[in-house]
Formats: sequence, structure tokens, C-alpha cells
Amino acid sequence: MIKDITIGQFFPGDSLIHKLDARAKIVVLLLFIVALFTCRNFFSLGLLFLMSIISVLISKISFSVVLKGLKAIIFLVCFTAVLQIFYNDSGEILWKPFSDKDFAITTGGVFSALFITIRIVSLILSSSLLTYTTSPTMLTEAIERLLSPLTYLKVNVHSLSMMMTIALRFIPTLIEEINIIMSAQKARGADLETGSLMQRAKALVPIFVPLFVSSFRRAYELAFAMECRCYTGAGKRTRMKKMQFALRDYLMLVFIIILTASVIYLSYFAQSTLFIFEKVI
Amino acid sequence: MENKHLIEFNNVSFSYDEEESKVFALKNVSFTVDKGEFVVILGHNGSGKSTIAKLSNSIFVPAEGKVSVDGMDTSDEKNEFEIRKKVGVVFQNPDNQIVASIVEEDVAFGPENLAVEPEEIRKRVDDSLKAVGMYEYRMHETHRLSGGQKQRVAIAGIIAMQPDCIVLDEPTAMLDPKGRNEVMNTVMHLNREMGKSIVFITHFMEEAVNADKVLVVDNGRILLEGTPQEVFSQSKLLYDCGLTVPDVSALSQMLKKAGIEMGENILTEEDFVDSFLKLCGKNAVEE
Repeated sequence: MIKDITIGQFFPGDSLIHKLDARAKIVVLLLFIVALFTCRNFFSLGLLFLMSIISVLISKISFSVVLKGLKAIIFLVCFTAVLQIFYNDSGEILWKPFSDKDFAITTGGVFSALFITIRIVSLILSSSLLTYTTSPTMLTEAIERLLSPLTYLKVNVHSLSMMMTIALRFIPTLIEEINIIMSAQKARGADLETGSLMQRAKALVPIFVPLFVSSFRRAYELAFAMECRCYTGAGKRTRMKKMQFALRDYLMLVFIIILTASVIYLSYFAQSTLFIFEKVI
Repeated sequence: MENKHLIEFNNVSFSYDEEESKVFALKNVSFTVDKGEFVVILGHNGSGKSTIAKLSNSIFVPAEGKVSVDGMDTSDEKNEFEIRKKVGVVFQNPDNQIVASIVEEDVAFGPENLAVEPEEIRKRVDDSLKAVGMYEYRMHETHRLSGGQKQRVAIAGIIAMQPDCIVLDEPTAMLDPKGRNEVMNTVMHLNREMGKSIVFITHFMEEAVNADKVLVVDNGRILLEGTPQEVFSQSKLLYDCGLTVPDVSALSQMLKKAGIEMGENILTEEDFVDSFLKLCGKNAVEE
């Protein structure tokens, strides 16, 4: 299961999406998420879903990678979908499993389950596309730039972004380390798979204690190595890759603003004109 | 006068335990590294050899004595930045010194800290990646590389800062033989072709054969100092401090003891083969 974690992974490439300025990508994603959560009809949802699929196609990220990322959340999706089916009892009754009880599966429930599934899938697709197509260094630098107004509030934005860079850098290293420790403990007879939930949770203690110890050792060594490379924390630093907004970034921003605005408009102010599309939620 | 040596250790003592300064990691150590010199420091685990690496660029400062880099005292905090520009250190574990997820971004980390202009950083990154033979991997993810490749990236990260001297603290200890070869060849290239001074700290004796100067450290003191030939001839002494001479050297010394007159100074397999063929009166045409 640990192998399936693709969060924070980056797949180098030179597609249009790779070339977009990281700051633009973050803003686009945020607005896209706003649109995704404000939309209230299948028409706009379908549009947004289509957009995320098209973006994945443009980015040339292989579908197996994308599916692997989705696999990790399949439980969450099913769980929410099932909840939605039972939670919503509007519309026609489709199936009444227990004749003596009050609950039934209705069209409203099925629609809202479908709706929420598409919404979550689009959310994951679009947000994982951000990390897939942006190198962690660019990503954290973009966050640093976007948060830079916070320096006036005495927040050390640079340290935050450095921490993020290092965290992203060490995710794969630590995952590998967990696997090694797990194998080592299994070789010593540790039982990680059977027993009650409590027992299995307890069995994890001998995994996490060594992991923490070694993480601290790594942090200590990394600090030395960074000092050796003249890292001082703040002060004057330059960047190899300059961040510059190109025309495509501006176009992308204009496009997403129009899209989000129209989704909000369709959802809240123009519902009546869209009665032909099923309204749910 | 002082500027003659690039790095100078003068009677240096250092203790990790500040309260009870009886336990010294290093005691009265003196040596020098000149420009373009290839110095190998040999010692087994806990001999104090890694402490030397951290003392050489002001990560640690000596408790007694003085370390100077190009005439600058490492104890003076004002010199810290300049000293680290001159002396770069590569550590044992490549995983714990790579900061960024992408090869070229990690190599750029040092020059970025030195506030070098972006175009110049680009050039330095490309040059240093070419110098270690990792240019084709510049867009790869660092965690997918092999140990030897990671260590070469770490070395490139130091070269990009254009130091005069590179200190490598057991850079091969965690690598397989292939990775060790890769790193060794890279280091030789830096010394011979690019004229960088190298301080190579290791416990593998074979890695000392190409050095200009070998220091053997045991128990915080310098036990032996000299050319590889001089040092390797003291196999008994080396054995006592937990080091073994390369197999071929040991073999030729045993042969000598048994009355077979092998040539002097046999350090590598080629030396041995040459000398053996000479002994048999054959030409060194076939092996």
C-alpha cells in the first residue's frame, strides 16, 4: 500500500502544463477547486471533469500513473458514495430493501452519489496533476512567492518553503526506510498483519521508533551538509530558474477566472435557466 | 608565509564532550594540504578521521590549536562563509546531503546560497554535472539514482561552488564496489584534470594508492605520514590499528619474507603483475 503513494511525485516533461509558471498553476488549481465545490449541476460538473481529463491528456502523464494515484483514494470514494445513496431520499424510490423499514434507495440518492464521486475524482486528478508536472523546488518557491506578503506579519516564509522542499525530498527516502524496517522486524518475528486493530497498532511501535531515531540522525547530518554548502537560512539567495509569467500563464488565469465565475453564476444565479439539467444537493 | 598552505592543522585538539575534556577525539594533530595535493586520511571507525573533515571548514572549531584555510582562522565566525566557499565537504551518506528532489536543482543549491547570477548557476551546474559524468541525469529524481550516482551528484553540488579543496568524508563507505569505482574515478578526475586539492578520508587502504600523501589516524593521533609506498611498508603497524594493506602488497611482502625477491613498492595489481613477470624473465606482453 505504501508503494501506491504518489503524492508529491514529479514526472519531468515538457508539455504545456509542465511549462506553465508554478504560481499560475497553484492559482488555477485553487480556483478550479472553488469551482468544483460551488458547482451544483451536472452540466458544470461535467465540464470541470472534462477539463481535468483534458489537462491530464495535455500533460502526457501516463494513465497508469494517474490511476495508481486514484487507487489510493478508492475506499474514500466508495465510502462517501454509499453514504450519499442512503443519506439522500429525494426523488423516486428505486429499491426498498426492507419492506418494514423506512429507508430506500432513491434517484436523488443515486444522483448525489454519482455527483460526489465525479467531484472527488476531479479534485484528485487536478491536484495531483500539479505535483506531477511541477518540480518540488519550483512548487515550494511558488508557494514562497505567493505567501511573501506574509513576511510583513513576521512569518518566515522562506524557512517554511525550505521545510516543504526537504519534506517532499524525503518522502520517498522515508518510505523506503519504512519498508526496510518492516522487513527487518518481520525477520525478527514481528507480526504486523494479524490480530485485532489494537494489536496491529501496537505492532507498529517497533516500526516507528527506529524510523524516528533515524529521521533525527538524517536531519542532523543534513543540517551539516547544508551548512557546508553555505546555507545560512535567509540572507541573499539567487535562483537558477527565474520565475516569469509568460503570455500562456496570463491566458490560463483569465480562462480559469471566467470558468469559475460562470460556474458560480450557473449554480447560484441562473438555476432556473438550467432546469433541464438535474439539480442535486 | 601562512598562505603557502591551503589547509593547515596546527597542533589541533578537539573533544565532543565539552565538560570532561579528557576524552579527545583528536589530540595534537598537525598536517598541511597544499594546492593541487591529493591527501588520503586512513583510519578505522572511531579513530577521529571524520572529525578532521568537520574541522576543516569551520563546522567544528578546535578546542586547542589552530586550523587555517588559506590563512583564515576557522575559529573566527566572520571567516565562516569564505572558508566554506574554499573548502567543500562531501559526507558519507549521499541520501542525507541531497536537498532537492531533482538532480540539477540539488547541484544548484550551493551556488544559489552564494547568490551567484542565474545564468552563471546554469553554467556551473552543467559543468559540474559533466565533470562527474551525471549530465544526462540532470532531470532525474535524486531518490531513484544508485548510491554511486547519488554520491557523484553530491560531489557535483560541491564542485558547483568552485572550492579550491574538496574534503570527502568516507564517500565510498556505503557504496557497492561499482559505486566505489565511480566515485574514485570522479575524485581522480577532479584532482588530475581540474587541479582541485582533495582530502579523501576512508578506511579502504586500496583507495590510498594514488595519493600524494597518506596520513594514518589512530585514536585521535597521526600515527604515520608519508607516501603510499612508505605507509604500506609498515603492514604490522597498520594491522595493529585495524587497517589491512591491499592484498597484493601483503602478498608481495609475504613473498619477500619467504625469500622471493619481488620489486619494491607494490601497491596495485598492475605493479604486482609487472614485478612478477620481470621475476620470471618474461616480457610483460601477456598476463
